[in-house]
Parts: sequence; C-alpha cells; structure tokens
Amino acid sequence: MNLAVSNILYHQGFISSVARGNYKAPDEEYTPTTPDNIATRRLWLTLKYRDNEPVLTKMSCISKPSKKITFTVTEMKSMVSGRRAKFVEPLQPGEIAIVSTNYGVLEIHDAMAKNAGGLVLCRAR
Amino acid sequence: MELIGTLGKLRLAALRLSRGNLHHASKPLTNPTLLRPFSTSPPSLETSPTQRPLRHRDLQTSLLPDLTQIDPVLDHDPSPPSTLDHGKAFRTNRPQSLVFNAPMEDLDESQTPLTSWEMARLLKKSLVVKRVVNMNGKGKQPSMYALVVVGNENGLAGYGEGKDEEASRAVRKATNRAIKNLKYFERYDDRTVYMDIEKKFHATTVFLRSRPPGFGNRSNHIIHEICCCVGIHDISGKVIGSHNPMNVVKATFEALNHQRLPEDIAKMRGKKVLDVQHVYYGAQ
Repeated sequence: MNLAVSNILYHQGFISSVARGNYKAPDEEYTPTTPDNIATRRLWLTLKYRDNEPVLTKMSCISKPSKKITFTVTEMKSMVSGRRAKFVEPLQPGEIAIVSTNYGVLEIHDAMAKNAGGLVLCRAR
Repeated sequence: MELIGTLGKLRLAALRLSRGNLHHASKPLTNPTLLRPFSTSPPSLETSPTQRPLRHRDLQTSLLPDLTQIDPVLDHDPSPPSTLDHGKAFRTNRPQSLVFNAPMEDLDESQTPLTSWEMARLLKKSLVVKRVVNMNGKGKQPSMYALVVVGNENGLAGYGEGKDEEASRAVRKATNRAIKNLKYFERYDDRTVYMDIEKKFHATTVFLRSRPPGFGNRSNHIIHEICCCVGIHDISGKVIGSHNPMNVVKATFEALNHQRLPEDIAKMRGKKVLDVQHVYYGAQ
C-alpha cells in the first residue's frame, strides 16, 4: 500500500522518483521481498522543491485506525467539488486524496471514474 | 621692583589678549617701555587692537574661541533644566522608518509611484486608534497610536502604524506609512481568494475561505475592512485564538501574501492547469 501511495504521488508530480531498496541505498537491480530481507526493505523517494519551497507541503491521514472513513462515489464527488462530506474538509485547488478501493489504491478522481467507493486514506497538497 | 611690575603688567596684558578682549581692549599698550623687550616689530601706536598682530606667535585669530557665545559642550548651561531627563548627547541607532513617533513628513509624488490624485482616491481605514503610555522617570507620557489600512480596491493594499501626541497626526503618519507599504495581492476573478488559507501569526489564527460570487464579505470586522480595501468581495473569514486587532491585521496580510496560486502549483507538479469555470461556462 505504501508503494501504491508513493506511486500515486509520483504520477501526480509531488515527488521526483520512487525506488525500492534496503536501508542503505535504493536497489540497483530488482530484488524481490522475501522473509529473509523483509526487515531491511525501504522505499526511497526523491522530494521536489521549487523556488525554495517544497512541492509536497502537507500530507495527512483522513481515515485513521480510531475512526475509519469510507466514501461513496457521491460523497467523493462532493469532496472534490469543494463541499464538505462526512466531516472531511473539501479538497482545495492543487490537493489530492488517495482512496483504497476494490480496484486497488487509487487517486480520488480515478476512483470516481471507475465508480468505486472506498476507504479514504489520506490527502496531500 | 620696576621690572617685576613691568612683567606683571605684561602678564596681565597677555591674559587679556587670551580672553579675547580684542574688541574692547581696555588699555591699549601705548607705553613704549612695556612693548620694547618682547616686540619683534617696531610698535606703531596708530594701529587699533584688532589690526595689531597677536603677542604670542602661535596665537591665530581664527583659532581663538569666540567667548561671546556659550559653548554647548564646554560651558555650563546657566538656565535651570526644564526636565529631569537630560537630553541625549548622541543620536540613537534606530532608523527613522522604524520609529513610529518620528517627526512627520507628508508624502509627495516623488516617494511613491502613485500620483497625488490616486493617493487621494485610496480607501483609507483606521482600524486601531488607541492611547498608549510610555513610562519615564518624569512620569506617564501618553501618546496616540494608530494602525491604518489603505487600499485601492483593485488588489493594492498595505498597512501602516504611527504614533503621535495627537490622534489625527498619528493617523496621518500611519496613512503615509501604509501608502509606502502598498503591495499587490492576487485575487481569483478579482473578487475572492484562490483557495482556503489558514495562517497563524503569533497567537492569532486567521481562516480565509474562498466563496462563490454573490456570497459577500462575511468575516471578522477587521478582515472585512482589509478585504474591502484589497477588493475581495466574496470571502468567509474567521479569527481563531487571539483577537488582538493589530495581530489580526498582520495575520490577514501575511495570509494574503503567502497565497499559493494554482498556476505555480501546476508548474511545480508538472501538470497543466485549466479553469473549468472560465473555459466550460465562459464565466467572467
């Protein structure tokens, strides 16, 4: 799931690159995750900055273990169009939300396109 | 005996000269017997004291002190002091622009890019006018403090603070400073903020929420005035925490200053940005 979230951030342009690796450095060639090396597995993300400001300024959880928030497609549509849904602040211009659906971890717009609701994981701006 | 007397008289004469009694020499040295032992040139009795060269060769008229005037540094001021505070001998380091109660200079066109007609047309609002007191050894020294917000209702706005004994003068100082501090703020559609902003300034948190056209300016009275001056017509503003007027003004200006424009976000993320409202609906 972390890799999927990182991929979404990469495709949305918040980070420069995503790489799997161990705690020392990203992998040079593909190494599968096995029970032997699972403790050392890390994700290496390259952050982006422009004009002395970070591109990814804020990222926060929406659905938490203490309070899980699941959205239907209608609620997702209202959140995206600037209206609050289920005590979740609406999305601002330049903000994205990541949803975990039956089709996998998707960005909120992609989930709406697939007509799939699900657990709203986090928001990033 | 006679010699001592002569020497004594000469010393007296020298003293009189050093005290600058050139203009009104009481006893011109006409006696040739007094002049003879020391003079280098033959004494001329016709010359006036001012024209005669000075006795001592190192003495020069230009270097002699003018003892008709009281020297401010060397002489003790005979008049009784008006305050218990002694005036500062040296100027403080604080630059003029930072001192609120500095003497006022009215703004002219050379100091701002605005013409005097435009300056007169600016919307000026004094948001804070209060009586402040400076405690001195002398006692309480009251003065009036003013915070004025100035704007042209088309994106330009600024705030200034001023202090003076009179409220009207303090307001004028603050207005001048505000005009000098004018800054352009970006607005979406020339009517509202681009997105919801939350800005914390000291103990004051300000929320500025973008609203659709026709919503109106529904905010805290201070945010309302600032948005009026900037030209923001549809906004929802809220102050959380401290409502201190000075800090609310500063927080609002910081919030408007640090707006992130969608075009900049698009550039940073490498995406193309499109305003659906304008493109699809052709809204103005």
